[in-house]
Amino acid sequence: MNNRIKELRARYNLTQEDLAKKVNVRRETIVFLEKNKYNPSLRLAYDIAVVFDSKIEEVFLFD
Amino acid sequence: MKKAVIVFVLAAMVVVSTALWFFSKSNKITASDIAGLGVIILVVGFAVFIGYKRLTSAKRGEPAEDELSKKVMLKTSSLSFYISLYLWLVIMYFSDKLKLETHTIIGAGILGMAVTFAICWIYFNFRGVRNE
Repeated sequence: MNNRIKELRARYNLTQEDLAKKVNVRRETIVFLEKNKYNPSLRLAYDIAVVFDSKIEEVFLFD
Repeated sequence: MKKAVIVFVLAAMVVVSTALWFFSKSNKITASDIAGLGVIILVVGFAVFIGYKRLTSAKRGEPAEDELSKKVMLKTSSLSFYISLYLWLVIMYFSDKLKLETHTIIGAGILGMAVTFAICWIYFNFRGVRNE
């Protein structure tokens, strides 16, 4: 599973720390997500999609 | 924050008791004593590192624990438990061959388990958890 978090974060002018605070996780979790080293829970995927005003499938791309 | 402080207090207690044991030894310090001391320092260093990570997260206003850290801890626990079973088998085998004292064997086992846990934690922390 790939994701567009880095791209969307840049578009919304958010740092990893900002996004981490918005979705209530540690900054390391955002780093792992961007490197595709972690598949988030449905709850976290939903929270991230809400921050970027998108649908889950627009942020997280399934192969 | 509270958990980080507990980690630091426990680490300090271990350091003080280890220092007391090491400096109050009446007989000569052997290579195995130094090895044991090294392992204890490694384990304490690991605990302090985790405590420091928790403190910095708390200072940044982030949660000390989140779903990734919980998953890493879960995977670490299960893998290190599995490895520890084999570690105890190896210790049982060598305890018959080397004729070691019981407290040395148990101490080696506990320290081995701690080192296994630390190695597994580092492994999952760098590799990540992908559910694949």
